[in-house]
Amino acid sequence: MKTSKRNSQKRLIAAAIFLLALHLAILLAGFVAPYQPAMQNRDFPYVPPTRIHFVDARGHLHFRPFIYQAVARADSLYEYTEARDQEFPVRFFVSGSKYKIAGWLPSHTHLFGVNAPAQVFLAGTDNYGRDQFSRILYGGQISLAAGLLATTVSLLLGLCLGCVSGFYAGWIDESAMRLAELFLVLPWLYVLLAVRAFLPLHISPSQTFLLLVAVIGTIGWARPARLVRGIVLSARSRKYVTASRGFGASDAYILRRHVLPHTYGTLLTQAALLVPQYVIAEVTLSFFGLGLSEPKPSWGNLLANFEQYNVLVSYWWMFAPALALVLVSLGYLTVANAFHQQLQSGSI
Amino acid sequence: MGTEAGATRALQPALMRARGLGKRYVQRAPFSQQSFAIEALVNVDFEIVPGCLTALVGESGSGKSTLASCLAMIEKPDSGEIWFEGNEISHWSKRKLAPLRPKIQLVFQDSAGALDPRFSAAQIIEEPLEIQRRESRQTLRARARELMEEVGLSPDWANRSPLQLSGGQRQRLAIARAIALKPSLLILDESLSGLDLSTQAQILNLLLDLKAARSLTVLLISHDLSLVGQVADFVAVMHQGRIVESGSTRQVLASAQHPQTCKLLASVRVLEAAFQTARAGGRG
Amino acid sequence: MMPSRTSGAKSPIRYLERRAIHAVLLVIGASLLSFLFSSLAPGSFFDEMKLNPQISPETVAALRSQYGLDQPLPVRYVRWVKSVFRGEWGYSFAYNQPVRSLLMVRARNTLLLTTLAMALAWLIAVPIGVWIASRRGRWDDQLASASTSLLLSVPELVLALGLLYLVIRTHALPVGGMVSTGFDRLGSWEQVRDLAAHLIVPVTTLVLASLPILIRHVRASMIEVLQAPFIQAARGHGISRSRLLFCYALPAAANPLISLFGLSVAGLLSGSLLVEVITGWPGLGPLLLEACFSRDIYVVIGVVMASTMFMILGSLLADVMLVVADPRVRTDHA
Repeated sequence: MKTSKRNSQKRLIAAAIFLLALHLAILLAGFVAPYQPAMQNRDFPYVPPTRIHFVDARGHLHFRPFIYQAVARADSLYEYTEARDQEFPVRFFVSGSKYKIAGWLPSHTHLFGVNAPAQVFLAGTDNYGRDQFSRILYGGQISLAAGLLATTVSLLLGLCLGCVSGFYAGWIDESAMRLAELFLVLPWLYVLLAVRAFLPLHISPSQTFLLLVAVIGTIGWARPARLVRGIVLSARSRKYVTASRGFGASDAYILRRHVLPHTYGTLLTQAALLVPQYVIAEVTLSFFGLGLSEPKPSWGNLLANFEQYNVLVSYWWMFAPALALVLVSLGYLTVANAFHQQLQSGSI
Repeated sequence: MGTEAGATRALQPALMRARGLGKRYVQRAPFSQQSFAIEALVNVDFEIVPGCLTALVGESGSGKSTLASCLAMIEKPDSGEIWFEGNEISHWSKRKLAPLRPKIQLVFQDSAGALDPRFSAAQIIEEPLEIQRRESRQTLRARARELMEEVGLSPDWANRSPLQLSGGQRQRLAIARAIALKPSLLILDESLSGLDLSTQAQILNLLLDLKAARSLTVLLISHDLSLVGQVADFVAVMHQGRIVESGSTRQVLASAQHPQTCKLLASVRVLEAAFQTARAGGRG
Repeated sequence: MMPSRTSGAKSPIRYLERRAIHAVLLVIGASLLSFLFSSLAPGSFFDEMKLNPQISPETVAALRSQYGLDQPLPVRYVRWVKSVFRGEWGYSFAYNQPVRSLLMVRARNTLLLTTLAMALAWLIAVPIGVWIASRRGRWDDQLASASTSLLLSVPELVLALGLLYLVIRTHALPVGGMVSTGFDRLGSWEQVRDLAAHLIVPVTTLVLASLPILIRHVRASMIEVLQAPFIQAARGHGISRSRLLFCYALPAAANPLISLFGLSVAGLLSGSLLVEVITGWPGLGPLLLEACFSRDIYVVIGVVMASTMFMILGSLLADVMLVVADPRVRTDHA
């Protein structure tokens, strides 16, 4: 139906824009986040999210949103009230701590902030008083990057093996597909844990990151490989491939011009499906302590705070990374669905 | 009926000759231990006379396509010899066969499947030229347009996808692509099946014109004896993997001996009229 | 020219035989792969063990030579296989016992959890899927599709944590573990209730996690079947709607669903690992995690193999169901 096709296109565009904005915000975490992820405020553990006000205590309406400073209550631990005496307006494009945009361009402009001594904790703080909002953004860099890179690894592996398998058929195909079946029959999370465990546990964060990407990506080659192989098998038996051979085309030429273009649609859909899965895989590993560990934030180790049930119950804002995870999943799955529909209708 | 020149041409050395060709296919039904063999070619002796249009006729399953595949060097025969330009090529490796490929070109029955739908018409024609590096980038498109004109396609359609063309136009495109490398032998494997009568006549006309203009040798494979009888100089009839009758068209049609030939002749189609009309009206 | 087909009576058994052999080969292959992964570890596991004060150096040396951990990979593999046939499945260094006894208890717990979750998930998904397939395009179908999409986007981790939060906040259920302390002193009915209370959170998480995909597939299969001519004919005969859906359409849609059943075992197993760890359910999950940290290599291999075998059994079960349910399978595979 035409309307459903247009609807799915609209959904695709909306989801794509949303994802792009999210990724941009995370890429520019240094700019969007008001504070550094490692910055501790030992005086302010487990502060709930700072409320943004427009109307002050005297009933005046302000155009610029403002906050009150959080003050610890003298009588109970981890409870805070707002100090209503002074309003701290939220300013935009403020100057703050130094960071590097996307890791190389130094800057110290942040999207928003408040004057000292107040601090704006959009998502509260953890037990070290670290701003969760900033940590979620920085953590997103790790988790998303892991997901994206691991997806690239899986797809590249799957593409290569699927191509070779489908194109040359014969015993190469047989053995590759048997191997794929083996990989598919193993429950992936168990294997992921096991492989991660068999590799050195105590290594530097960047090594851990690369290891995670390598492990997650390598284990997942089987499904894309099977899909690509199917496409290559059917494409290679087409008469126009035979004709090309009749002109003396090399295998490389045929692959490049006649076979591979048929895989693009499937690869895109697979990518949109795999990225959220792999992000969740990284988050799970870090949650269990087998991935990125403190102090580098990742959505996984941010959520690991919940291993203590009291945190789970009392400090609901620590759920925020989960929300980010859900949003990412939702975005990618919508895109994947839309791709799938387009593929079915033959547009790709 | 075939040309008179056919008789004199026969005295020249054959362009391509097959001797005692045999090919069998072994099929195994899935999940079963049983297999059965199909004898696609049995002791086939076949000759293609240069500059002539030879027809290979037979029912489905008679082995015509297999013979075409072997001649076009797509498949290797299990036994026998194939001679081309004085060389015995049935056991040549891929590398050795490579320089011969441009000389023998095949046009398939299913034009839609034989043309990559992602390519434009011009790109389809350019492909062989590109692969064989016959033309520079600039002249590629011009050459393609020339070829389109030669087969009766409007060069304005250069950017059309083959899916946007009719069956007859697609076959023209396939023929244009096939002659781009200036082959000595053009094999058409049931390329006329599935086209309506007048389109068939037009394509036949085109083939005759090409044959004349380029001194092209044509091997036309079909199940329709009366159709090809109009244009072929030589005819060979195949049945169950064997050549059961061969010779000049006049001979075969006039004094058909094998029951298979008679059976094929019996299914007469009224093509003569359409053919003559098309010829009289020029190309189109 | 086709060969004659073997009689229908023999072929399902032959088909199943083949699938069974296939399954065994898969298990062997999986064990090889697991062992291969273990050889990736640089250094020896015993290096870490030596630091562990609970294990004496003599035990380390004895175990090391007994299990030939200094031997090359093929030798180790053979020794492990022999240990499997002896019924030990290797040795756990952390627990100081053969892996098998550890596995048995934990595997039973995981099975309890996953079979319950599977049964529930399918019991809920099938009626819902069938219903919304028949109401295709209408508001309840759209609502269901939107809900499943949303649910699908919520990772199991978040689901588990969220449910835990609710449960702890409301003090509605006991949290953590399989049974409360003092379980043995309870009467049998109380024991069942206690077990059930502990099961609610993990099972609900698993069910919620699997529902979206199951519902989608059921819906898709049913939609395809509902368009078939024989359904239209049945409708013309005036058969009631629910009878039509469940007695005519559903059996025809069973084929892809049964294959899905085999696959969903896989997803459920992976999911159960997470849920078990988070809710403290003493299944294979926490065992694996512990073993990963303590580098208890044979436990890790044992757990991976156990879960792999469950998966293979699941798909074998699906094959059996397929043969029983779909008459075409019986005659097609000669």
